[in-house]
Amino acid sequence: MNGVPALELRGIRKTFPGVVAVDGADLDIFPGEIHALVGENGAGKSTLAAIAFGEVAPDAGTVEVRGSVGLVHQHFELVGRLRVWENVLLGREPRRGWRIDEAAAHRRVVEIAQRNGLAIDPDAFVETLPIGVQQRVELLRELDREPSVLLLDEPTAALAPAEIASFFETIANLARRGTAVLIVTHKLQEVIDYASRVSVMRHGAIVARMETAATNVDEIARAMVGGELPVIAERAPTQPAPAVALRDVRVPDAAVPLRGVSFEVRGGEIVGIAGVEGNGQSTLADAIAGMIAHDGTIDAPPARGIIPQDRQREALVMPWSIVDNAILGRQHAPGARKRAREDAQQIVERFDVRAASLDVAVRTLSGGNQQKVVVGRALIDRPPFVLAYNPTRGIDVGAAALVQSRLMEARNAGAAVLLISFELDEILALADRVLVMYRGEIVGETAGAAIDRVAIGRMMAGAR
Amino acid sequence: MKSVLRERTLRGPAFAIALIVVLMSLAMLVAGTSPLDGFAALFYGALGGRTEIGETLVATSALLFPALGICLAFRAGLFNIGAEGQLLVGALFAGAVGAQIHLPGVLGIVLLLGLGMLGGGLWGAIAGWMKAQFNANEIIATLMLNFVAAALALGLVSGPLKGPLATGAETAWLDPSYWLPTLLPQTRLSIGIVLALALAVFLNWLLKDTIFGYDLRATGEAPEAARRSGINVPRMTWFTLALSGAVAGLGGAVIVTGELHRFNTQLSPGYGFTAIAVALVGDLEPLWICVAAFGFGILEAGGLAMQASAQVPKDAIHIIEGLIILVLAARRYALRDTGVNAP
Repeated sequence: MNGVPALELRGIRKTFPGVVAVDGADLDIFPGEIHALVGENGAGKSTLAAIAFGEVAPDAGTVEVRGSVGLVHQHFELVGRLRVWENVLLGREPRRGWRIDEAAAHRRVVEIAQRNGLAIDPDAFVETLPIGVQQRVELLRELDREPSVLLLDEPTAALAPAEIASFFETIANLARRGTAVLIVTHKLQEVIDYASRVSVMRHGAIVARMETAATNVDEIARAMVGGELPVIAERAPTQPAPAVALRDVRVPDAAVPLRGVSFEVRGGEIVGIAGVEGNGQSTLADAIAGMIAHDGTIDAPPARGIIPQDRQREALVMPWSIVDNAILGRQHAPGARKRAREDAQQIVERFDVRAASLDVAVRTLSGGNQQKVVVGRALIDRPPFVLAYNPTRGIDVGAAALVQSRLMEARNAGAAVLLISFELDEILALADRVLVMYRGEIVGETAGAAIDRVAIGRMMAGAR
Repeated sequence: MKSVLRERTLRGPAFAIALIVVLMSLAMLVAGTSPLDGFAALFYGALGGRTEIGETLVATSALLFPALGICLAFRAGLFNIGAEGQLLVGALFAGAVGAQIHLPGVLGIVLLLGLGMLGGGLWGAIAGWMKAQFNANEIIATLMLNFVAAALALGLVSGPLKGPLATGAETAWLDPSYWLPTLLPQTRLSIGIVLALALAVFLNWLLKDTIFGYDLRATGEAPEAARRSGINVPRMTWFTLALSGAVAGLGGAVIVTGELHRFNTQLSPGYGFTAIAVALVGDLEPLWICVAAFGFGILEAGGLAMQASAQVPKDAIHIIEGLIILVLAARRYALRDTGVNAP
């Protein structure tokens, strides 16, 4: 790359109590490029982005910015009950005396939107907008400050495939006009498709820098892991028999209502529920787990292993030991407390949980090891039905492969596995059948050889 | 919520003790006394002889019951600020019935103590029911019920339950058959303190080694995970508050049967509030709470002597107790923040 970098990080080092988050990282982002920063969870990429933005001060190293830096968070920070223009200009409203100059504010928002080719209604209330449009609002808010460097943290995590393409069109436009863009992501295919360069972080350092034109997904993934990629257990032939059946399940008054969901999961198969986040997956999982009331019928064996979506809030008691957590959910079974240590030992061995002892608080474990405890506990009694909700979200590649292997083994041994995941790749890798969920309904189903990424992507965006 | 106020180390209590010493030294210096003289007066007043030790242990016992009740609620994530009212209603139930009905022997004592638990438990259960049923904030509910309890007690004891010879708002004397046996001769100390210590051991076992305790702690540490593990959280909420109130109410009955031998609206100088500090300094662990209660018992009983000989007003002790709650809570918030935000 020629020219002067818009953002220059040199020898950045940052430690938090007990962890070296960033360990001597150098990074240059040039005007006009889309630069991807990838790495496993805990590799330090979020910390590095926060340092670049000036949110976190490094212990050592220098940050040089030519111009200003804007940051779009992974989780939007919008006020749902305010209008689009109010959100975009929040804190920087044009004033007339002691009042907001609404006409000027309108003009300004429309003008930024047009300049950047973003279609938006400035008067819409943000809470009524789909996720993809909300993200445009978030983006507009940063663009109003005309940053020379734009940082995007997992920008496509909540977007449907079609929205992703239009999002990157906008970003490419920005880059063409001279903005330096840094995208923190874990979606490697998007890196190849849309970024010009990629930097790979591992253990707090940048371990590889590549032109995306000269590399591929596998090479980036190997650089992230620092070796060969782990393989998932193989699919074995099974004889599926009905195990779980949902008939016309409705939850009318949930945040995202279920509008008549019917499907079966048979023993010895993995059924994947694909869909963009926020299309009723949580409502469905809660109804099946018996956490909320529903209409219609759900026939499922009483013995079930449930892997909830939020391990820290819904599955674990964080200050407790592995031993105490090992029986949570089964504590009322006879003799459970006596078996707790034995169970914990078994979970740690079968799932390769890296912990100093069985008595350490699960809070001190890494996310991957916490998730192994949750999955291990769900599978320990070999339940005939397993409900797994984003079982590998936010954990490293090795832990993810192990979790996926254990789910596949449960299937091979005859369990009915329902896999709800926002990662299409995960569903494609594991599922025997794929159902697509959109706005509280199952809008499509494909199985076996007919499973097709493009068709599923279209259905995820609402096309039937 | 609860883990904010608690950490499983000795640093919390040690910090609290150091803080008490420093603050009291400052108070003494302001009052123009040397801290050495002040502390000497305090300790002599609390531990200098049989009577003094007796009074210290009476205060220890009076603080220990409500503190154990508070401990149970806090461990379940419920801020029970209503131990004062629960203690008062427990004492009222015991005193009112004891002044009217005469039952001989151990049976009578057991009846009155049971009535104390019933009264306090009822008072806690009202707040628990309000929270479980209407999602009322238990801090507000328990706090407000303190005022209801005080008004109820005053109303009843000034009128229908007023003892025939009573001058103030108090019931008639209990029949001596209801009096708890004295533990330390020539003092007011009854076997109530033994009951309190046994209760602490029991609650320690209940919390650590039973499924009920497991469920209670899970509800406090991670309510959503608890709900998903099959715990009926609303039921746990009202039952825990009822149990918490019952323990405080038992303390009220012990004061009535063990020391005063009748109910009196002035029987608690705020034990139920000081007990919050006791529970927190004891790190919400029943056995450490026994130690903390003894420490606060020394302050309560020795405070008067200190006031007399070192000119430090006894109220300074209550100010310091209040500060301890604030500082311990703030410090644990601070610790928790650094612990959580680090990746």
